[in-house]
Amino acid sequence: MEENLREKLLKAFEGKLTKTIAMYLETCSRCGICTTSCHVFNSMPRPEYSPAARAEVVRRLYKKYFKLQGKFWPSLGEAKPLDDTALDDLDRAAYSCTGCRRCMTFCPFGIDTQQIMSIAKLILVAAHAEPEILSMLADVSISKGESIDLIKQGFIDGLERLEGEVVEKWKIDAEKIPIPTEVQEADILYVALAGAHSIIPSAAIFNAACENWTLSFFEAVNFGAFVGDPGKTRLIMDRIINEANRLNVKEVCICECGTAFRVLKQMSGKQSFKISSITEVHARYIREKRIKLEKNRFKGIITYHDPCQIARNAGIMDEPRYIIKHLTDNFTDLSKKPEENWCCGGGGGLVAMGQDSHDFRMKSSKVKADQVKATHASILVTACENCHSQLSDLNKYYKMGVEVKFLSSMVADSLI
Amino acid sequence: MSNEIKADKTLDLKGLPCPMPVVKISKGIKEVEVGQVVEAVTTDPGSLTDFPAWARTNGHEIIDTVQGDKEITFYIKRIV
Ligand code: SF4
Ligand code: SF4
Repeated sequence: MEENLREKLLKAFEGKLTKTIAMYLETCSRCGICTTSCHVFNSMPRPEYSPAARAEVVRRLYKKYFKLQGKFWPSLGEAKPLDDTALDDLDRAAYSCTGCRRCMTFCPFGIDTQQIMSIAKLILVAAHAEPEILSMLADVSISKGESIDLIKQGFIDGLERLEGEVVEKWKIDAEKIPIPTEVQEADILYVALAGAHSIIPSAAIFNAACENWTLSFFEAVNFGAFVGDPGKTRLIMDRIINEANRLNVKEVCICECGTAFRVLKQMSGKQSFKISSITEVHARYIREKRIKLEKNRFKGIITYHDPCQIARNAGIMDEPRYIIKHLTDNFTDLSKKPEENWCCGGGGGLVAMGQDSHDFRMKSSKVKADQVKATHASILVTACENCHSQLSDLNKYYKMGVEVKFLSSMVADSLI
Repeated sequence: MSNEIKADKTLDLKGLPCPMPVVKISKGIKEVEVGQVVEAVTTDPGSLTDFPAWARTNGHEIIDTVQGDKEITFYIKRIV
């Protein structure tokens, strides 16, 4: 590696070296408690898949270049130079971690391996060594933000094709628009994903609740966050913030996409509108009796997979269970404590890497498949697109014998 | 116009989850020669904003977009 590249990468590292991250890097006592908390290690017990070993890859660089002289250093690891081998190690560590933060809940010091891995991803981005597909997806999102006026009419025309299916789920007055866009002063700006399945059920539920809502022109997902590029993350987030401000909406509701919700909620700073997940909004509609659901329309045992970014990392665990209580008498939880639920194994950009990551995603998530099988559930419901894709792949691979469903689609199909 | 376009490869991207339509078109376009055309069929309304943005970012050209009752068909020429 050339010296000027090394300098550039270390500058990127330094820029992200907050007091909290330095504390994470200096505190690990190597107690090993986190080791079995990681689904990857549990499914593929190799030393390099323990959270502490992943963090060590970054810690070695920290020790070499940033550790203050004379500081207490409890770790036994050695300092290592930042070279091409180190880049390979960073890639292996970062892209075998889904950022689920399950390890953090078990670590006695609360060390956040996901945050340490964000440094690994940042160095990879600075070295142009990140997964090409994730950067490309982030660039497409940014380009969409820059050219939305040229392309939005096509999107509006495309929405007309979905109107019939929305009305089939919930009838509305003929003069009303089933999927409204560009509504000034709307109470809710709903940010969906590209697929019709992310728009149709939600639209029917908004209409059933007589909501004053409007659909965003943008997709919720933030690929800048997956690839660990703070600049791109901000640009992608700003498209939605600018749209919300332009329309002067009261609330931005994020569809079933865990990363999209956590990033906007926790990284966008203070805004004039409220930021909610669709699960919170649906729970609110039930509580306020704005929608009513037919109970037990879906037969058999139903279990719920808590998406890490919505549950453990954003605290939304009661709302989905409250909704499910109105859908079935036959619910069983996957784990005793929702915050200790196993990750689906598809986070951190792994699902978006498609077939390239399939083998690792399947093998590293065996514990998840075992957890689902133990419930004998016939329906596995979740509230995140990424989790839904990964769980559907696991269902096939491990013959879990469940139907994987979105919570919003079950709500829409149970509207009465 | 689409009647006159001869596609060199067809991709069925109907009903795929996010972000697979864009992932698959990115891979699919590399499987044809420069100047050849990929026909991509989707059901996602979002593809109507995603695909033009993808084409612009990656230097390809959408030569036609046909919106049917249920499906959207893009004809994309590989430029680079
Ligand atoms: S964040 Fe999740 S995947 Fe990453 S090391 Fe911790 S438990 Fe493992
Ligand atoms: S539990 Fe915490 S302190 Fe112990 S090895 Fe893991 S990261 Fe280090």
